[in-house]
Amino acid sequence: MALFVDILLSGVAQGMVFAAIALGLGLVSRATGIVNFAQGAMGMFTTFIAFSLLSRGVGYWPAFVAALAAGAVLGAAVERTLIRPLQGKPALNPVIVTIGLLVVLEGVAGSIWGNVARGFPAAFSQRGLVIGRTRVAFSHFDVFLVCAVVVLVVAIVALFRWTALGLRMRAAAFSPEVSRLLGVRVGRLFTLAWALACAAGSLAGLLVAPLSSFSPYYMDLYLVYGFTAAVLGGLLSPVGALVGGLVTGIAIALVGGYVGPDLQPIAALAMLLLVLMVRPQGLFGTAGVRRV
Amino acid sequence: MLHVEGLSVRYGPVRALDDVSFEARPGKITTVLGANGAGKTTLLRTLSGLVRNHRGTASFDGQRITGRAPESIARLGVSHVPEGRGVIAELTVDENLRLGTFVRVRRGERRAVVDEIYERFPQLRDKRHRSASTLSGGERQMLVIGRALACRPRLLLLDEPSLGLSPIVTAQLMATLRELTTGDGLGAVLVEQNARSALSVADWAIVLNLGRVVVADRPARFAADADLRRHYLGF
Repeated sequence: MALFVDILLSGVAQGMVFAAIALGLGLVSRATGIVNFAQGAMGMFTTFIAFSLLSRGVGYWPAFVAALAAGAVLGAAVERTLIRPLQGKPALNPVIVTIGLLVVLEGVAGSIWGNVARGFPAAFSQRGLVIGRTRVAFSHFDVFLVCAVVVLVVAIVALFRWTALGLRMRAAAFSPEVSRLLGVRVGRLFTLAWALACAAGSLAGLLVAPLSSFSPYYMDLYLVYGFTAAVLGGLLSPVGALVGGLVTGIAIALVGGYVGPDLQPIAALAMLLLVLMVRPQGLFGTAGVRRV
Repeated sequence: MLHVEGLSVRYGPVRALDDVSFEARPGKITTVLGANGAGKTTLLRTLSGLVRNHRGTASFDGQRITGRAPESIARLGVSHVPEGRGVIAELTVDENLRLGTFVRVRRGERRAVVDEIYERFPQLRDKRHRSASTLSGGERQMLVIGRALACRPRLLLLDEPSLGLSPIVTAQLMATLRELTTGDGLGAVLVEQNARSALSVADWAIVLNLGRVVVADRPARFAADADLRRHYLGF
């Protein structure tokens, strides 16, 4: 029983990271209709920026904020320079560009910071909390991680649902041409969506780094899990991303705990296949509105 | 207000518009008639910036609009109501209307502008929180016209507003349009397949045929000249 609870708790923590990645994938997919395969690599890159700052003696929180800001800037820059010029071309072109970007970012990170695995500090203690008399597999850092992602999801939902900016972003995503005829500067909103998505990716990168061996490739696997979460959640709603992330996280943890960690990536791919075969619109999507 | 001179548009080797010139004035309705494929929709899409022209110019209040982006033309006060599926079905009725107010209406006045639209189209108020996808054809047309009015436009470009509407609703729509365009206020360019009802409200009519203006005259001329009607309008 204790093992089961521990597995569940670690699944929740992991799942929140998947949710943050899925949220970023969803924001980009909704705005510009493509899957950003560089979502993880962009988070990796900005986490390395935080790593550089930390190793120069900058405090954890300034470095954390700097990485999020760098993510937003990187996202906006990628949209303007690489994605925007491909507008109106077949949807596969920008997708291939994002795969290229993934390779380039990992290469550049490797040449700057080296292709070695290191440790990355956590904001809070990673020792399990003691509840009653037992130590559970859930630390202060996990509490922070869950809170950070929940705050992110709530902020994005609030932005979309209750602000004029969010209404414009939704309109631009659903119907760019009509939005432009109403004077909405659709291009700027797409840039903003990319900026937000990559800031979310940076957050995921910062949260995952202490849990894994930190190298230029540490986000690759998380992108697969995040993509599974995104497809499961339907790619359209932030709440879908959250639920998709949790389901994926718990499923992966169960496989890791009872079957073996080696099978986790295969389990994720199997889940992905299953969702695409049985319910391609995801748990929260509506059939027919998906354009991936 | 709107000054179009020698406008030409090509789709590859096809000339969609060929040397089109006309004017639209404040408080007046200019109707653009012609058969399917005559270039009517292309004309509106060029005026609102969705299609690039290859020769000629269009200017609005002395400012050149050809070559500008659609959002910047909209910001000048040109509201294009596209044909058919202009509602954003994923948003509610209220959200569709609010979207219209973001550009030319000050923050504090937006609610009042949307309420004005509800005064004009009470059916929309009853369904304000419903998804726009649940509206009937007539209600959708009210919504897109209401949303265009919420932009506080100076010139409306209407593409087949009567499409799919019953004769009664079409008549109401035309009466509303006439009521909106008076004095030196709102001007309108009305593209219509339904020539009869368009001519009943218009101040000026042009007929396009294969991208060229073949007739430009007062609507009364069409009433008087049966040959002209039969030849170009088919009634």
